[in-house]
Amino acid sequence: MAETYLDSTELVLNMGPQHPSTHGVLRVIVKLDGEKVLGTDCVIGYLHRGVEKIAENRTYTQFAPYVDRMDYVASVSNGLGYCLAVEKLLGVEATPRAQVVRVILTELNRIASHLLWLGTHALDIGAITPLFYCMREREYVLNILEKYCGARLTTHAFRIGGLQYETYEGFEQECLAFCDMFLPKADEYEELLTGNRIWVERMRGVGILSAADCKAYGVTGPMIRAAGEKWDLRKAQPYSGYQNYDFDIPTGEFGDNFDRYLVRMEEMRQSVRIVRQAVAALPAGPIMAKVPKVIKPPVGEVYVSIEAPKGELGYYIVSDGSTQPYRVRVRPPSFVNLQALDKMAKGCLVADLVAIIGTTDIVLGEVDR
Amino acid sequence: MSLDSAMPEEQKPEGVQGSGPARSESPQPAADAAPAAAAPKPEAPKPAAPPKPAPKPPAPPPPPPDWEGDLPTALKAEFGDKVSEFIAYQGQPSFVVAQDAAHQVVTSLRDIHGFDYLVDVTAVHWPKRDEAFDVIYVLYSFVRNERIRMKVRIKDGQKPASVVDRYVTANWLEREAYDMFGVEFAGHPDLRRILMPDEWTGYPLRKDYGILEMDNRWVQENLGIESGQ
Amino acid sequence: MKKLLRKIFLADLLEGLWVTFRNQDPKYIVTEQYPFARPKVGERYRGAPRLNTNPENGETLCISCDLCALACPENLIVVGWERNAQTKRKELVNFTYDTSRCMFCGLCEDACPVDCLELTQDFELANYSRDGAIWDRQMLEEGPKPARYKF
Ligand code: SF4
Ligand code: SF4
Repeated sequence: MAETYLDSTELVLNMGPQHPSTHGVLRVIVKLDGEKVLGTDCVIGYLHRGVEKIAENRTYTQFAPYVDRMDYVASVSNGLGYCLAVEKLLGVEATPRAQVVRVILTELNRIASHLLWLGTHALDIGAITPLFYCMREREYVLNILEKYCGARLTTHAFRIGGLQYETYEGFEQECLAFCDMFLPKADEYEELLTGNRIWVERMRGVGILSAADCKAYGVTGPMIRAAGEKWDLRKAQPYSGYQNYDFDIPTGEFGDNFDRYLVRMEEMRQSVRIVRQAVAALPAGPIMAKVPKVIKPPVGEVYVSIEAPKGELGYYIVSDGSTQPYRVRVRPPSFVNLQALDKMAKGCLVADLVAIIGTTDIVLGEVDR
Repeated sequence: MSLDSAMPEEQKPEGVQGSGPARSESPQPAADAAPAAAAPKPEAPKPAAPPKPAPKPPAPPPPPPDWEGDLPTALKAEFGDKVSEFIAYQGQPSFVVAQDAAHQVVTSLRDIHGFDYLVDVTAVHWPKRDEAFDVIYVLYSFVRNERIRMKVRIKDGQKPASVVDRYVTANWLEREAYDMFGVEFAGHPDLRRILMPDEWTGYPLRKDYGILEMDNRWVQENLGIESGQ
Repeated sequence: MKKLLRKIFLADLLEGLWVTFRNQDPKYIVTEQYPFARPKVGERYRGAPRLNTNPENGETLCISCDLCALACPENLIVVGWERNAQTKRKELVNFTYDTSRCMFCGLCEDACPVDCLELTQDFELANYSRDGAIWDRQMLEEGPKPARYKF
């Protein structure tokens, strides 16, 4: 290695960990030939907090707030996955009302997550305006979350077995108002970006990852859909009542940056559809299933995964019959998706690297855990 | 056939029974959060500290049902006694593979049975057992829409074969298992630490690694502080 | 041809500018003018902790049951109590709450059986020293008094 580093034709560039476009503390060592990327090596772990170790020293209830801190822009999804996993271990299921409220909040959070992605990614590419608009719309979602559970980012919205909080007065109306407000805004973003020449030139044909590569690299979420694979865990293995909603899985064609952008835009619209149906179908009833006060699942192990905004988020929990989990393994979508960066970036230009990291949509809190 | 989505309904009643003893316990709510036994506490909460002799379940919970279907049959036919313990706990199929056959089984699963997506590779530490580590592979098949779990039991120091040559995604996942548990994968192209610093010693997710433990020498040398706590 | 014309006249850029122009409308402004105006936070907002007292006689509602300390994942609450020799009841002596380690998850609040410990809508928790982040009983009962500056 040492010789190649000194070779005059190749340049090793250190990008990050303090680089604005890596959205956190990602360090990428890039090998360059002129402006062409020959290879990348990600150095991660700067944000490692040992979440899995903490889990082994907390009770099942106590660990729930920690999962919010992994993918902190979509904390509701993290909480949902964890609660579903423990519920599966316990053999209980959330009540119908709780399930519907969960769906509403998770979908709203998916919109918020994609909005943050869109805004920051547009900023990376050089378009500042969408950031302001996306943040503005995201604010409405965060306000709903704040009113519902008292926190905007690390929500801790769900509890094992159901919900802690009943919906507040005007919850349904606010969700619907957001949906009505949001759809024209989404068109507005598209007006700003989809036809924009700079945007298209920067995104089209860059960072291509075919469906076969996605499978080999374990890449999931919007990225595999952009490659044309119509696969979404909400449809493939429905959880929390997703089989009751009518929505489409948007797919792309080429698996490049632009397709990923289009898929995420369409996913937000589909989320709006789900929220509308869920609000209309919100049943009355209890919000908490019968779970013991001390959660003590029987000996066993489960792997439960959900479709988080970034891909398949899985929880593998081993119980030894005590009040603390024996082992919690989080299968983070960002971590696995980031691995494909090298494949996507090879042969493109340095400037495109930023765009590729952007459309991979990583959250370092989740990569490093 | 989708085991994952078809089975849970049949499984649920059993699961609920299994958690019966836990539910009947403690009318007194003080045990809401039983103290973390391992976590050092600033002030040991006396009232709930001794683990209450929980009412012993009258009978051990029924063993998880066998996992039946064409896949176990095919695997048994192909690998004989190298594969065993086909169970479907909570409707989730899993099985155990002998360490020396793991790589062949993975290859067969990928090439013949269509499990084209390796979801996760991880490990669990069982210090009391002779085979101290479970290495867990979660596999998914897009065509069958089915998720299975494969377990390989290894002794401390044994090296399971890396599956990077079958699934590229195993690269980082195996590095993480190595980083956290010290399980070395034979034939891995680039087995380095991934989340912890390269020079760190010790494997944090092993059970004998305390939650406050750290590599003091590394902390002192690199951070210039006495201790991270 | 149409494409070429669009290109020459920068139609895509003008469309984008038109969107920006439409958004000049002040009804789209959502920026909060903190600290000139304090934003209103949700009713369930989990902010600064408070120990509630009985509004009539000012006595604490806390029954020193230690449930909040047990529920907290971060183990940051320490309830100090003494048994009153006459009434045989626990009496709260001290209560420390380390806001620097708190993650405002609300589990302690949920655990409290008497609505004593509560996370309030106060969100100004900044301090000049680390020790200042550890709140004692008096501070918890009276609430924080952040400095208000005039501009
Ligand atoms: S809010 Fe959470 S972290 Fe903070 S004291 Fe309460 S239980 Fe502990
Ligand atoms: S749970 Fe409430 S009553 Fe019990 S010690 Fe804590 S503050 Fe006091």
